[in-house]
Amino acid sequence: MRLLPACRPYRRIDMPDAFEFLSQGINGVVMGLLLSTIAVGFTLMLGVIGIINFAHGILFALGAYFAFTIKSLFGFWAALILSPIIVGIIGIIIERLAIKRMYGKDVLFCLLLTFGIAMSVEELIRMVWGKLGHSIAAPSFVSGSIDLGFMLYSKYRLLLAGLSALILFLVWLFLEKTSYGAVVKAGAQDSEMVGVLGNNINRLRTFVFGFGSALAGIAGVIAAPLWSVRPGMGNDAIMPAFVIVVLGGVGSFWGTVIGGLAVGLSISLAVMFLPRVSDLVMYILAAVVLLFWPRGIMGEKSLLEE
Amino acid sequence: MPLIKGYTALASEILIYAMFALGFNLLLSYTGLPSFGHAAFFGIGAYGLALTQLKWVKDLWLGLFVGMLAAGFFAALVGAIIARKRGVYFALLTLAFGQMFFFIAFRWDEVTGGETGLTGFDRPPLAIPGLPPLNLTAPMNFYLFTLIVLMVVMILIWRLIHSPFGSVLQAVKQNELRAKYLGYNTIFYKWASFTLSGMISGLAGAMFALQHGSVFPQYLYWTESGNVVMITIMGGGVVNFFGPVLGAGIFVILQNAIGALTEHWLFLLGLTFILIVMVIPEGILGLFKKTKTAQ
Repeated sequence: MRLLPACRPYRRIDMPDAFEFLSQGINGVVMGLLLSTIAVGFTLMLGVIGIINFAHGILFALGAYFAFTIKSLFGFWAALILSPIIVGIIGIIIERLAIKRMYGKDVLFCLLLTFGIAMSVEELIRMVWGKLGHSIAAPSFVSGSIDLGFMLYSKYRLLLAGLSALILFLVWLFLEKTSYGAVVKAGAQDSEMVGVLGNNINRLRTFVFGFGSALAGIAGVIAAPLWSVRPGMGNDAIMPAFVIVVLGGVGSFWGTVIGGLAVGLSISLAVMFLPRVSDLVMYILAAVVLLFWPRGIMGEKSLLEE
Repeated sequence: MPLIKGYTALASEILIYAMFALGFNLLLSYTGLPSFGHAAFFGIGAYGLALTQLKWVKDLWLGLFVGMLAAGFFAALVGAIIARKRGVYFALLTLAFGQMFFFIAFRWDEVTGGETGLTGFDRPPLAIPGLPPLNLTAPMNFYLFTLIVLMVVMILIWRLIHSPFGSVLQAVKQNELRAKYLGYNTIFYKWASFTLSGMISGLAGAMFALQHGSVFPQYLYWTESGNVVMITIMGGGVVNFFGPVLGAGIFVILQNAIGALTEHWLFLLGLTFILIVMVIPEGILGLFKKTKTAQ
C-alpha cells in the first residue's frame, strides 16, 4: 500500500538543509516524469475512447513483470523494447475482445469491465510469478551514483528521468507532428466529430488503447528497478494517474505533464516536511485545484461532462 | 432473505451488503451518478461506530447514529464540490476523494489505528424502552436485528424514490438540462441524493463494524467501491429496485464459495464480473425484464 517507496529520504533529518531540499526536489521531478509517462496513455484513452481504464495499473505491472523475465534472459535493452510491445498487443486484444462491445453503452459498463480485468489479471500475475515481490537490479552501466558536483545522485534515477522525458517527447512529437497524431489529439477533444469527419473511429479506438497500453508497459519497465515488482504494484501506479488527469484536465498532453510534475514534487516535498501526509498530499492538491479549475489546469470543455 | 442454516453470519453479511448497495443504487440508478468512491462512506460509518464504542459510550443506537451522520457529513462535503459533475468525470472525482479518505484512515494512527485498524469493541445489547435488552452477540439475534434495519432502510428508500423528490432525481438522471429548465435546482438534488446515499452507506458500514467487531482502512479502499458497483449491477439494480439485494447475495456466496475452492478466487471473481458485464449487462433481474417485454 505504500506509495512511491523509492521516494523516501535515505535518512531522516529534522531541519532540511538546502542540499536535502535540492535532492528531494530532483527526486520529485524524476518521479513526476515517470508518473506523467504512466498517466499520458491513461488520459488519451479517457479522452478518445471515453473510458476510465482501471486496467491501466495492471498493464503497468505487466510491463514490469515482462521486463523482469525478459531482462533475466536477454538484458535491459531487450526488455525496454519487447515488454511494451507485448503489453501493447495485450491491450489491443483486450480492446478487440471485450471493450469494443461496450461502445455506445453506459460508461459504467466499461468501467466495470476494466475493473474485472484488473482484478483477474492481478491474480493471474500471482499465479504466474508468485505472491512475493521481486527486485530488479538496475542495469550495470547505471548502477551506483554519480557526483553532481554538490551531491551524489543515483545514476539509474537520472536514466529514468531521461527515458521518461524522451518517451514524453516522442508522444508529443507524434501528437503534434504526424497526421494520425493530429487525429488522436482531436479525438481526445471530440471523438464524435472525428468520426463524422470520415476517420475510422473503431480503428482509432483500437490504436489508442494499444498505444496507451504500450505506454503503461514501458513505464512499468523503467519503473521496475525503482519500485519493487509485486502483484499489487498496479494500484500504486493507477491512483496517481487518476489524480494527474483530474489535475491536468482530460486528454491534455501538457496538462498531464504539469499534473505529473506537480504530483511528483508535492509528494517529495511532503516526504521531507510532513512524511505522514505524503500519500495524501496529491489528493489534497487535486481538491484545491478543482476549486479553482473545475476541469483541471489545461482541461477544456469535454463531451464527457454531458 | 432466506436464512441458510448454519450460515447465520454469512446471511447477516449479505443483508449488510444489500443495505450498502441499495444506498449506492439510489445514486446510481435513480439519480444517474456513477460514484466510484462509496466505500469511503461505508468505511467512515464503520469508524464512526467503532470510535463511539471505544472512546465515548457503549451504546448501540448512538454508535449507529454517529456512523451514519459522520458518513452523511463527509458525503455532504464531497457532494458540494462535485455535484456539478456527471458521467465519467463524476466517477473519477468520487474515486479520488474516496482514496483521500482511505489514506486518512491509513495514516492517522492516533484516531483510526492506522494500518492495524480498530478492534476490541463488541456489540452492545439492543435496548428498546419497555423491553428487556436483547443480546446481539448471538448470531441469530444479530441477524434478525440486521433484517429489521434493512427492512426499514428499504422502505424509506422505496418511499423516497416514489415521492416527488424521487421523481425529480429520476428527471435529473434522464435529462438534467430539461429538469433544470423546468425550474428545479438540479445541483441541489444531486447533492442531496449523494448525501443521503452516503448516509445509508455509512449506516451499512456501521452495521458491518458491529458484525465483525473490527474496522480496517481496507474498508475504504477503491476496490471495495468497485465491488459495490458490481453488486448493484450484477443483481440488476439498474432495472429493478431489488437488484442490489440479489447482487449482494450472489457476491457474498460467490466470494465464500470460490474462496473455499481456491486461493486464487479473485481471478474467478474478476472473470465473473467480466462475463456478467459482457453477457448480461442489465444484471440478473434484467433478464426477467427482457422476457416480460418479449411476451
